[in-house]
Amino acid sequence: MFSFYLFPLVIILCVETITSKRISRNAVLFILLAVLLAVTLSLLPEGFFTWLWDKLNVFATVFLGIFVEAVPYLLLGTFASGLVEVFMDRDAMSRWVSNRPGAAAISGAFMGMVFPVCECGVVPLTRRLFKKGLPLSAGISFLLAAPVLNPIVIISTASAFGWGEMLLWRFVISLVIAVTVGLVFSAQGEAAEVLRPVMAGDDHDHIHAEAGDSVREKIRKALLITVDEFFDMGRYLVLGSMLAAGLQTFVSQSALLAIGSGPVLSVLVMLLLAVILSICSTVDSFVALGFTGVFSFGSVLSFLVFGPMVDIKSVMMYLQVFKRRAVFYIVGIPFLMSLAAGLVFNYFVK
Amino acid sequence: MKSRLSFDTVALSVMVVLAVVIGAVILLGEGAGVRVRTDVPVDGIVGPFQKVTFTFSDKISAEIASGLISLDPIHEGYLESLDDYSVRFVPLKPFERDVTYTFKVIPGEINSTTREVKEVQNWQVQVREPRVAYVVSAEGQSGIWSMDSFGRGAKRLTDETVKVLSFDVAQSGEFIVFSSQNQNGGIDLWRVSREGGDASLLMDCGFDRCTTPVIAPGDVRIAYSREAAGPTPDLPFGSPRIWVVDLESGANQAVYEDQSILGYSPTWSPDANRLASFDGLTDFINMIDLRTGEHLLFPSTTGGPVTWSPDSTRFMYTTFDQTEQGGRTLVKLADLTTSETLNFIGEKDQYDYSYYSVAWSPREDRAVLSLRAAEDQPTKILWIFDPSLLDGIVIAGDTDYTYNSPQWDVWGSALLFQQFKLKGQYAPEIGLWQEGSNQSVVIGEGIMPQWLP
Repeated sequence: MFSFYLFPLVIILCVETITSKRISRNAVLFILLAVLLAVTLSLLPEGFFTWLWDKLNVFATVFLGIFVEAVPYLLLGTFASGLVEVFMDRDAMSRWVSNRPGAAAISGAFMGMVFPVCECGVVPLTRRLFKKGLPLSAGISFLLAAPVLNPIVIISTASAFGWGEMLLWRFVISLVIAVTVGLVFSAQGEAAEVLRPVMAGDDHDHIHAEAGDSVREKIRKALLITVDEFFDMGRYLVLGSMLAAGLQTFVSQSALLAIGSGPVLSVLVMLLLAVILSICSTVDSFVALGFTGVFSFGSVLSFLVFGPMVDIKSVMMYLQVFKRRAVFYIVGIPFLMSLAAGLVFNYFVK
Repeated sequence: MKSRLSFDTVALSVMVVLAVVIGAVILLGEGAGVRVRTDVPVDGIVGPFQKVTFTFSDKISAEIASGLISLDPIHEGYLESLDDYSVRFVPLKPFERDVTYTFKVIPGEINSTTREVKEVQNWQVQVREPRVAYVVSAEGQSGIWSMDSFGRGAKRLTDETVKVLSFDVAQSGEFIVFSSQNQNGGIDLWRVSREGGDASLLMDCGFDRCTTPVIAPGDVRIAYSREAAGPTPDLPFGSPRIWVVDLESGANQAVYEDQSILGYSPTWSPDANRLASFDGLTDFINMIDLRTGEHLLFPSTTGGPVTWSPDSTRFMYTTFDQTEQGGRTLVKLADLTTSETLNFIGEKDQYDYSYYSVAWSPREDRAVLSLRAAEDQPTKILWIFDPSLLDGIVIAGDTDYTYNSPQWDVWGSALLFQQFKLKGQYAPEIGLWQEGSNQSVVIGEGIMPQWLP
């Protein structure tokens, strides 16, 4: 506070100095800025820097937690993407996935059983599959369902909640949402209308598998694609992780939990938490387990359904693949359906 | 452009429909009010200490719930909060037989959000008839069986490959914990439901021996005796010490940090706060209050089990002591409220009755004691008496038999015990005495009988 009282005196001294032209104007401005900074700092409440330091520590820890947890899965997803690029051709895709919207959406939802990726890895893989001619409806339902409908997540959910209702409903509702959104996107005739130009246009990858390539060469190319794509998507993972860490650090979760009573608010709070926490679907069951007893079954279920489909880091990556209005639907429809499911359970089932 | 409009129209329409559905769900849900579920079985048949959980579809405190939940006829117990949505009625006394209890939830607000229960809901419960759990040994194996109190409907509860060494029944009667040898030569603790079937491993003791499990009233903690394995297989096991495992938290630790305090025959007080055990090395009964850590010692040379008064303030135990009449087995009564211990029975006896197996019933005015009927008789009879009057009746007094291990049912109205015929063929039998009768009956063959409420 001492500098605050000195402030008028310093101003007078500076003005005197400028008028006397004994030192340069830049030096005076520097001094003024320094004084202003000192004043601002002195006006900050006591303990501000301790608080800020603590918060930054928390931020760094949370950021590293989210990022380190997600990176291996992104790597896995980009590696799968590389393998798809070099080993799969468009004909194979058309053989495996039906062109009929309903069948394509359902088969897309179950593709996670073949490609067990979580929400970080599924984005680059879906992008690659689109390039290989995967129908839009199948790709969208794969994008939304794969983080839940895959063997790893099924086992981790069963480990946390047992082979019971939570696992069953998580699986069923995720499937219904993914297929519904897939069907909605099947109304879009041209994939290019919802995919970003870099996706829809000519392939920007410089690495392609040639017909005569040996397996060794193909794997080498797949790894090169993996590296390219990993760094391409990785920056959005970093950005998303930073945003999620920032929200977790500066938005009080205890305050959120405190207001999360009632059948409607509890679901909304859990949906919001799912977005903010940005936990990988392979481990989110164990976090959700901590909410049981504090939140209703329906609320916890909506957390487990919506979280793998939409969180901050996945939205950041969606924006690199889809146009904004498509992302709006990819986020909005699952949000409303998860909310509806949570409400039905809260009011009528559990 | 046409397809884009079509796509947007479809997507937005779906979102609008979903919004309408959400609105309708909220409207209908609010109209229906808060729902309440319980874990009362469909047939309403429950154990005598059945805890009944009420789960609300909205958050509720135990205080508000107590205003909405009633029980007819009135029964002593309390409501505890399990989580934000559930409360549980915990009976402090067993539900009576042949009485139909009705739990009722009445309409009313459950919290400040003005959500309310709108419909009256009822659940009726009746207490099931208790069964008897016991061990049958045959061909080197020993398994736990159960039968009704008439000796009918015997069924095996543990797998045929399991060799049961000791067991205890939960107060609720819902499960049994038993000890069984493992492949390492150690002894593990296992758990099996009252209906039998696959047992689950409760405590992997590795090379140690974990024996004589005793489940605390409330069914949350289990005390047991643990002998640590020697450093090498050829070295003997360590002395037994009392351990307690908490089934909710998983915490498992020795009761006494001092490794020189040994322990056999752990016994819980009825309020589950105190634990008594016998140290055969020092000839003391160790009694610890697990809430405060208070540790008391009571000299005893017999090692017989301690038995508690129903209110957990007093306990009886036996010891052998020199009196004016000579060496006598005494029944001592320790009062924890006055910190006094007195010679209760035996000080003036003409001969040594070798008192053993004293068991205080859940009724304050009833206890049982095994004693020698005559100076020249090795066999023991069972004497039911009123501790305040020291007046009673012999309910099992055939001198061809010896009787021990009496077990009261939760109401204190029936007594199970073990009897051995000493003359003739060895045949361990299970006897039963019921209130209103002067004589007991044999209900089956087996050992270690316990009530399975």
